[in-house]
Amino acid sequence: MKLVIPPLIYMLLFPGGLGLIMTGLLYEWVHRKLVARLQNRIGPRWFQPMADALKLLLKEEIIPSEVNPYLFVGLPVAGIAGVLTAGLYVPLWGFPAAYSFDGDLIVTLYLLSLLTLSTGLAGWNTRSRFSLVGATRTLTQLFAYEAPFMMALLGPALAVGSWRMNDIIAGNQGTWLMFTQPIGFIVAVIGLMGKLEMPPFDAPEAETEIVAGALTDYSGRGLVLFHIGRTTEMLVGLTMIAALYMGGINGPLDFVIKTLPVLLLISGFQTLITRLRIDQTVGLWWRYGALLVLLQWVVLIVLKGIS
Amino acid sequence: MVATAPAPKPVNAELLADVEPRFVKVREFLEPIASRCTVAPGFNSPEPNRIDVNIEAGDLLTAASAFYDNHWGYLAAITGLDHGPEEDYLEALYHFCGGAAVTTLRVKLPRHGGSVPSIAERIPAAGFFEREFAEMFGVYPTGLQDCSHLFLPEDWPDGLYPLLKDTEIPSPKTIASMDGLDKPIVDQGGGRFIVPIGPQHPALKEPGHFEFTVEGEIVVGASMRLGYVHRGLEKATESRNYIQNLYLLERVCGICSHTHASAYSNAVEQLAGVEVPLRAQAIREIVAGLERIHSHLLWLGVAAHEAGFDTLFMYSWRDRETVMDLLEQITGNRVNYSICLLGGVKQDVNYAQADALRAGLDYLEQRSRHYYEVVTTDSMFLQRTRDIGTMSLAQAEYLGALGPTARASGVVRDVRVEAPYGAYRRFPVSVVMDTAGDLEARFKVRLKELFVSCSAIRTILDNLPDTELTTRMPRRVPAGETVSRVEAPRGEAFYFVKSNGTDMPERVKVRTPSLCNWTSVLNQAIGRQLADVPLLIAGMDPCFSCNDRMVVVRDNSMHHGVRSASSKGDAHHTEIWTWEKLRQYGIDFYRRGGNK
Repeated sequence: MKLVIPPLIYMLLFPGGLGLIMTGLLYEWVHRKLVARLQNRIGPRWFQPMADALKLLLKEEIIPSEVNPYLFVGLPVAGIAGVLTAGLYVPLWGFPAAYSFDGDLIVTLYLLSLLTLSTGLAGWNTRSRFSLVGATRTLTQLFAYEAPFMMALLGPALAVGSWRMNDIIAGNQGTWLMFTQPIGFIVAVIGLMGKLEMPPFDAPEAETEIVAGALTDYSGRGLVLFHIGRTTEMLVGLTMIAALYMGGINGPLDFVIKTLPVLLLISGFQTLITRLRIDQTVGLWWRYGALLVLLQWVVLIVLKGIS
Repeated sequence: MVATAPAPKPVNAELLADVEPRFVKVREFLEPIASRCTVAPGFNSPEPNRIDVNIEAGDLLTAASAFYDNHWGYLAAITGLDHGPEEDYLEALYHFCGGAAVTTLRVKLPRHGGSVPSIAERIPAAGFFEREFAEMFGVYPTGLQDCSHLFLPEDWPDGLYPLLKDTEIPSPKTIASMDGLDKPIVDQGGGRFIVPIGPQHPALKEPGHFEFTVEGEIVVGASMRLGYVHRGLEKATESRNYIQNLYLLERVCGICSHTHASAYSNAVEQLAGVEVPLRAQAIREIVAGLERIHSHLLWLGVAAHEAGFDTLFMYSWRDRETVMDLLEQITGNRVNYSICLLGGVKQDVNYAQADALRAGLDYLEQRSRHYYEVVTTDSMFLQRTRDIGTMSLAQAEYLGALGPTARASGVVRDVRVEAPYGAYRRFPVSVVMDTAGDLEARFKVRLKELFVSCSAIRTILDNLPDTELTTRMPRRVPAGETVSRVEAPRGEAFYFVKSNGTDMPERVKVRTPSLCNWTSVLNQAIGRQLADVPLLIAGMDPCFSCNDRMVVVRDNSMHHGVRSASSKGDAHHTEIWTWEKLRQYGIDFYRRGGNK
């Protein structure tokens, strides 16, 4: 599908920018509703995430006295900027990515990590005890899931032999890699949950121990920017998984059909599993996650060598 | 009604058979100490299951250690008893319970400036009892490591001991200050810092304050502070009559309200020599059983939430609604059931209610079986509970743990079985035990107790005795002292009631199970990961409102409080403000442009 959209509109309104944020909030509603129904609750109405975001944007932002105010205000902006930029390199809504260059897959993955890094720095900057423990855990966890997650998303790239996302999608058009590379797919989905700090990987913001983790001292605008960043990251992540592992995305309907089941899968996992301690999270990723993906890489490389 | 109730057992014979050998042993090892006493040497037995021994303060540690050296029971409570300015002395009562037998060491002390040796070194559980005794009566145990306030606020005036008879509690100050939490501690050196949990924290729905010193993720030190909801109930009982006190004490706790009502009723009925009709006893046990189911389901949800398993939390709280509805059907109330009356119960259980109960219990039992399966087979959940917070049998006994927390470590300690009261004599229950002592065992024990409670309630419903619901209760209760022990969902609730022949009690001492279990939790936390701490706290099913029973006071020597608008120069002067005055002050303050 070819659709010519002027670059500025693409970046600020649709499908990037505002469009990306609004879609992200809608997806957040779907996610919240699914989890609620799975937990025998009613769940929010469709506009609740937007109402939450709007309300927090209007609220006073309290800047603690001992923090570096520039960092305090700048970090959420940096985080959300990273995620929105990442949105430009993925086929959002099934439209081809706005920009594409050799190696954009790697850049997108790093841009997505910027939010986690900002969260960690924000926790370190606010100097509250809960934030400090939360920041330590956020960054520890980053080192746990980042490598397996990245390796899982590079699996399809290996199969095609290109680091450019458009080439990978074109090269695998019609082949559902989730069936030929099941390990990679599962690790990618669970890695996304780790990235989004969803249960069972919510130790960095375990409310029963450290209140809200790294973001404990954030309020109003800063908090909501982190929140929107997280939500948008979920959408970009889902798009990447659907595009790379589910045979590309052909148009908006295909986008919804392919991303929602992944979201359902995530919600299901999230409801079924107890929060892991941070040492258990790290153990899980390095003992199983990373090794399994490596195994798949070996199989892939051997198969490619044979053919 | 079906009148085929089991024949009543000869209670006293059985009780005596259990108690006699224990008393023989006590007399044996306490004889040398008791004979040294100058006040009134020897033993006396005010009730068949109790022995009082007067001892000298200097012999306290020897005597208390003797109980533990001879493996005779455990320290259940320390009661302070003020005999008033006329008789001019106070007594410290150290109650030791073994089976159905209660031995009380009585130490006579001057009303001001008295002192006893601390026994907390030998019996760790005594630490909290001694701190409570010290702040309430002014008797500071020598050798006690931590003499800071446990229940009373930090700004409580020195020298004002609330439970002394002649202490008048002044009217509440208008704005209470809560301090001690603004300590600027981030780094304690060596990468250590303190993570505070509470009094306002998402992990605790009730106010308590814990300070965990952590090195990275590992807890290396733990301390706690209670009393944020201390309401001074023990003092309040002394100015209300027996009937008013029933409603007051029922509000000690929101979850185990019936436990407190029935423990108090049992005590007053014993003092008055009133036998409660069998049907009333049975109905009390039905409510106690339902209360236990309610409490354990609530706990299961909270514990699952602390572990980060919200799905289990949501489901168990949904099912908790069922048992609350059942309780409402029988008693008319969902929280403070108010079924007890002195000398009986308020409401009967009719056929329709009995059927509703049976149906409800079937559903709850089926759900509980499912939860039991979840907590014992879900491997992710087991990662958070198996071999975590393990407490051995010896540790549990040494630290004085009670209730399901102790039973999960293999301590056979259940008042319903050891010293059956009320309907438990005719409808006995079995003790649920586990020997692993870890968090998983605590989940198992509590969930199995749900099954036991369900079947016990069914048995009673099938054999409900056909008698009156109430019996006559005198307004004035003859002078005497008694001890009443009731198994709450969290462990033994201990009541000491002293009457003086009027319609108001002389002294009511309440010792709730949570107070005994804290020592074990703080001990388990050290060396564990911070992430395990909430679950460890939840593992003992803490109940803060049970623990705390706050007195607020106005005193001119206080350093906190509202500075009067009229006397700004005098920083230490406080006065009572009316709501109107406070409102006017606020308006003027902002008109002036704030705090300039």
